[in-house]
Formats: sequence, structure tokens, C-alpha cells
Amino acid sequence: MEVFIEKENNVTTARFVGRLDTPASQEVAKSIEPILEDPTGTIVLDCKEMSYISSSGLRIFLTIRKAAAAKGGNVIVKDINNDIRQVFMMTGFLNLFEIQ
Amino acid sequence: MSKFSEFFKDERSKDTWGRIALVVLAAIILEATSFMQLRFLARSTRREAMTKAENVLSTTRYEIMDVVEQAEQAIRDNMWIAQWCLDNPDSLKNVTRRIVEDHTAVVGSTVALVPGYNKKLPFFAPYSYLKDGEILHTSLATEKYNYPAHEWFIEPLEVGMGYWSEPYLDTDGGNIKMTTYSRPVLDPKGTTAAVITADVSLEWLSKHVGRVDIYPEAYSILISRKGKVMMGPVDSLAMQYTVQEMAERMKDDVVFNKLVSDMLSGKRGTVTVNSPQQGKSTVYYAPVPRTGWSMAVIIPEREVFREVRRMGFLCTLLQILGILMLIIILLSVASSWMEYQKTRDVEIHLERELEIGREIQMSMIPKVFPPFPERNDIDIAATIVPAKMVGGDLYDFYIRDEKLIFCIGDVSGKGVPASLLMAVTRSLFRNISAQEDSPAKIVEGINHSMENNDETGMFVTFFCGVLDMHSGLLRYCNAGHNAPLLFTDHVQPLDVVPNLPLGVLGGMVFEEQEIKLLLDDALYLYTDGISEAENPRQELFGMERMEEVLHERRTAMEHLEAMKAAIADFVEDAPQSDDITMLFIHYLNDNTQNNNMARHLILHNDIQQIPQLAEFVETIAEEKKLDQALAMSLNLALEEAVTNVILYAYPNGIDGLVDIEAYIREDRLEFILSDNGKPFDPTAAPDADITLGVDERSIGGLGIYLVRNIMDTVSYRYENGKNILTMIKKI
Repeated sequence: MEVFIEKENNVTTARFVGRLDTPASQEVAKSIEPILEDPTGTIVLDCKEMSYISSSGLRIFLTIRKAAAAKGGNVIVKDINNDIRQVFMMTGFLNLFEIQ
Repeated sequence: MSKFSEFFKDERSKDTWGRIALVVLAAIILEATSFMQLRFLARSTRREAMTKAENVLSTTRYEIMDVVEQAEQAIRDNMWIAQWCLDNPDSLKNVTRRIVEDHTAVVGSTVALVPGYNKKLPFFAPYSYLKDGEILHTSLATEKYNYPAHEWFIEPLEVGMGYWSEPYLDTDGGNIKMTTYSRPVLDPKGTTAAVITADVSLEWLSKHVGRVDIYPEAYSILISRKGKVMMGPVDSLAMQYTVQEMAERMKDDVVFNKLVSDMLSGKRGTVTVNSPQQGKSTVYYAPVPRTGWSMAVIIPEREVFREVRRMGFLCTLLQILGILMLIIILLSVASSWMEYQKTRDVEIHLERELEIGREIQMSMIPKVFPPFPERNDIDIAATIVPAKMVGGDLYDFYIRDEKLIFCIGDVSGKGVPASLLMAVTRSLFRNISAQEDSPAKIVEGINHSMENNDETGMFVTFFCGVLDMHSGLLRYCNAGHNAPLLFTDHVQPLDVVPNLPLGVLGGMVFEEQEIKLLLDDALYLYTDGISEAENPRQELFGMERMEEVLHERRTAMEHLEAMKAAIADFVEDAPQSDDITMLFIHYLNDNTQNNNMARHLILHNDIQQIPQLAEFVETIAEEKKLDQALAMSLNLALEEAVTNVILYAYPNGIDGLVDIEAYIREDRLEFILSDNGKPFDPTAAPDADITLGVDERSIGGLGIYLVRNIMDTVSYRYENGKNILTMIKKI
């Protein structure tokens, strides 16, 4: 799993590439620290190239969501595949995020 | 049947009779040899006595002859003066004086004129004699004495030569017992003119001759030609008796008479006589030349054989003591021998029974190889080569629930107790492992049961292993046994925690270890009878030789045969001192590939290993033609379950495994997760509330929620020290 973070104007984009499983989540937790430090504006979590997510991955998403909510930020989850959508549905995450 | 014959029929009494016969035989031999010795001793003693007696007889005779010679010499020397003085009789007393003065043997002397030779002096006999060291003179020509009537005067004139008189008591000279040597004196014309004499005191003679000192009670006697005792053992005896008178008083008078007549006739000889006073005596006798006397040395038999008798007595005493001691020794040896024999009988019996017991025990452990001919996933062989004594090695193995449960052990010590403890250990192993498949628990169970055994001070080194036939996971617990050899792509001793042997400390907690065996891995277990097999030069077989033997590729049984041959070759003719026990386990299950309908994955409790689950699920999905979405959710459920185990069942720093088995059924998939971590029931956690908003949602609790949602059935149990989570997905 690799995470690419780009910040353009008011929009921060985090692009997830690969499987966000438990060990990957431990690394990603560090990678997303810049976002957590400044969770303002719009945060786009680009999941187009993400093939898998476990509960640890979901926790990363939730952490970002909570941080943004505290600072008035807006989180958009983009391009999740059907399998991951199933997981989001199962866990009620579909209701927590704006899915595009 | 009479008591007597019963006695002989009885084994014990046969022994007793045998012993009595032995003692009697020993006594007879002893007696016979000492009898012979005494006989020889007696014979040589008699010979010695004879020699001594002969010597004494001849020396005494020489002493007497010496005196006789002195007296005769005195007369010879003075004969011419006496002849010369015949014409002047008054001067004769000078002659007699000289004779007495010059010759110590002579106590008195006279020259007595033949009556009528001198016309003026018809009777004339001047006499000189010794009294109290002085020489006195007197005349024998008295009416009272009447010398011409005396034997000493008559006899020489009769025989015309020198004559030794019978002993007599001289009353004139001073009351001394004496014998007189007398010779006729011829005048120049050849007429017998006088008799010249020399008196010899018997007392002096006796003193001169001395006592017979060869034996305290031996003595000599000297008798005159008429048989009068001149010299005897006691001075007072002299002249008291004649031997003829003595002979009459003897019981054995025939012999005695012969002796007397022999002596009186001047014969020489030896005779044994019997007297009432002295018992048997040997008499050695010989004549004294010229005098007509006879000399005898008498040695009482009891005197001669006093020493022999004393020795005989001592010998007999010693023999009796010896025989008594012999009897005592014989009895004690015999009884201790019988005691020993009895104990030995019991021992042999006991040993035999234990051997049977051991055989029974051995018959219960697998001895037929291959033990599992229907299985191709394991090659196993074991052997015990017992030492001469009943020993205490053991091995055992069997398969239960697709698990090979095995052990090897060595009881300290040898013999009966070791064998018993071995049997007990084996029984405990079977009983406990029937319900328990944690090696540490099995070992602890055996150790616990042995707790009451500690007064014997015996212990068992023991290695117990449980091999999961599917996964190759080997869990093991070592209780002080030597580390088995592990064959992977190289040979090395299996990493073992030593722990304490069984039976040392009750209530001990034993540490369990585990390792994953792969296809073709093998384990070689052995007892120190192999590594410590000793050759005549006291070199040990050792680990290196052992590894060398196992280096080649062989079947398990071939390995053990090769090892036995190598040991036999090494020890040469040295006796085997310890049991040789080996167990060879060759794992042949290809647990890296899919096999049958079961899949197996073992992960360490490390988050980083989680991606392996994806591959694991992939292979199952491929085989069962599952769609991508289902595969992903199965992957997710497994990941969540495994993560839970890693995070919650194993506290930080503890190394452990997570075992994942997957069973592919017709209509469902079964996943069984097990671990040895602390009890942790994931199903007990409450479900996450997915209806809550962002602020209320907690970070945790999602994992098990996902598992529940993905799987159709999720159940947890804690069993044999394991967390077991079973998950079923219908398809």
C-alpha cells in the first residue's frame, strides 16, 4: 500500500494504492499525519486504486473523518469499488462519508 | 515311611548330612596326618634317645675306665718301690703314702705282707688313707680287721694278677664305700710277698663320672661282677642291693633276669623292661673292661616320649580347635551360602517376573514397523536394545485425532526399580495423553503423578512431542532429556529448554516449545545409551559419530539399523552398559501444498504476516471457484480474526503461532483458528453500533463485527490450552 498526498488550494487529496490491510494501516497511520494536523478544507480520499480494506483501514478513514469534523473540514471518499462499498455498507460507513 | 528315611529325603537334611560327612572327612585327614607325624616323631625321638644313651654309656664307661686306669697306674708305678721295700717293711708306708698323695682317684692304699713272708713280722699292712684332705696312717694288721681274710687280699693271690674287689664298706679308713684294686707283689726271687692296693671311693667315682643328664629321670648304674650296685641314681643305693634282688621285685622278671645275666656275663645290649615304679624303661648296658663290672644307662620311656607326648597333646588340642573352627566356618559359610542361594533364587525369580512385566509393557508399545502402513505422510521407526540388566528406557507413540503423540525417556538407575518406574511412566503417558495434547500438560501430568515417588530419589528424563500431521506443527516439551536431532536442510540439535527431569520437583511448570516441520524434515530421538556407548578403550560413541551415521538418506528403519550396526562396530567386545533406545520420525506430508480438502496455514503472531492470508484465501477461492467479492470478504474476516488473536491473545513480547485450518465442504467453508495464547473470546465483545454518527463512533470493535457479518456461524471455545474459533461460510 502506498499513499500519495497532494494539497492544492483548499483541497487535500490522499490517493490510496493497493491493499489497506492491517500491516498497511500501521504505515498509513504515519503517512496521513499531515492531514490530521491540518484537517481543514476538503479532504479527498481517492480509493480508485485501493483493492482492499480491513477494519484497521476503516479506522484510518474514521480518524480522518473525526479530525475533519472537529475542524469543520469536509471528507469525500472517491471511487470505491463494489467490494469496498459492501464493507462500507456493512459497517455503516456509507452514512459517515460523502461517497463520490 | 519312617522319620529317618524322611530325613534323608528332605533336601535340607541332605545338606546337613553332607556337611557332617565333610567335617568327619576333614577330621580324619587331620587326624591321620598328625598321627603319621607323631609316629615319625616318636621313631626319630627313639632313635635320638638311643644315640644319646649309647653316647652316655660310652662316655660314662670312659670316665670309669679313666678312674680304673688311674688306680691301676698308681699300682704299676709303685710296684717296683714296693718290691724294693720288701726287705725294709717300715718304709712301705712311704709307698702307700705316695700312692694316695699322687693319685686323686685313690683314697687309700696298703701293702699287705703275705703272712709268714717276713719271719719277724708275720702280719704287716701299713695303710695310708685320705681323710678330710689329710693323709693318715694306720695298720690293717689288727686282730679285729684280719686282713688276710679280705677279698681284696685273697683274690689277687688266687688269680695271681690285678683284681678289682666287690664294693664294700670300709670301717677302718673312715666308713667309706669303696672298691679296691689289688695286685700281688713278687720279690726278686719270684715269691709272692705281698698285696698292694689302691682304694677307690664309690662316692668319688660317682661324682667323677657325674650324673646322666640327657633326660631328667634317666640314670646310670654300675654293678660289680657279682651284681652289687656300685653306683646308682642315688648314692645311698650303692651296695644296698644286688641287681638280682632288684630283679626279683620286678614284674617283668623274665626280661629282667635276662638283663641281669647278660650284664653279669659281660655282654652288651639294649633291653626294654617294665618296672612298677617307672613303667617302661629302656636299658642300655655294656661291660667295663678288666674290672668285671657292667654299666647300664636306664631311660624311662615316658621320659623319652615326654616331648612327643606333649606335642601329641598339643597337636590333638590344636586339631580339636581346628575341627571346631572348621565346623563353625563350615556351618556359617553353608548357612550364608544357603541364605545367598535363597536370596539369589528370589532375585532371579523377581528379575524374571520383571522381565515378563517389561515384555508386557514392551508389547504394548508399537513394535511393528511400519506402524501406520496406511499412511504415507509419516515414516517412523523405533527400537530398544536392552542392556543385560533390566533397564528403564522407554519410547511410545500413537496417532490420535490426526496428531502423532510420542515420547522417549530414560529412567535413572537400572534394575528392578528403574524398570518399574519406566512402566509407570509409560502408563501415565498413555493415560494423560489420551485426553491432553499439549506436551507440557502431558509432562506436567506425569510429573504430578510421580510426586509421591520422591523418596526413591529416582527420576526420568523425558521428551514428549505432539506433531500435527496436517500442519507439521510440532509442539514439544523436554524434561531434562538430551535434545533430539532435527533434520531440515541441515542437521542440528532441536532447540530445547532443559527443564527438570520428571520426578524431581512436584508441581513444576514445564515450558512448551514448538516448531514447524516441513516435508522431509525428520526428528531423531535417542537416549544416552547411544551417545555414551563405550568401547574397550573407554572412548564414547559421541554425537559426531551419531550425526555421521544419520547423514545418509535412508528410511527410518534403515537409519536405526545403521545406527545399531555402527554402535556394535564401535564398542567391539565391551559389554553394553545401558539401554539403547531410538525413535526416528520422518515427516513426509507436503504441508506446503494443498492436499485433500484441507488447507492449513500457520502464522506467527506478527501483523506483518497477515498478507499471507490473502494468498491462502486466493487458493481456496480458486479451487472452489469463488467470486472476487466473496474471496475478499473471507480474506477480511480471517484478517480480522487473526488480528484479534495477535493483539489480544498474545501479550507483548510473547512469541506464538496462529494456526488456520480451512475445510472446503460441498456447501460451505470451515475455518478453524487456534492459538496457544491466553484465553480470549472475541465473540464476547459487544457489536459495534453502526448507526452512530461520526462523533459517537468508537475506533474499535469493527473487526469482530465484520467477522460476524461476513461469516454465517462464528463460535469460540477454549480447549486444551487453546483458543479455538470456528467460522463457517455457506456457499
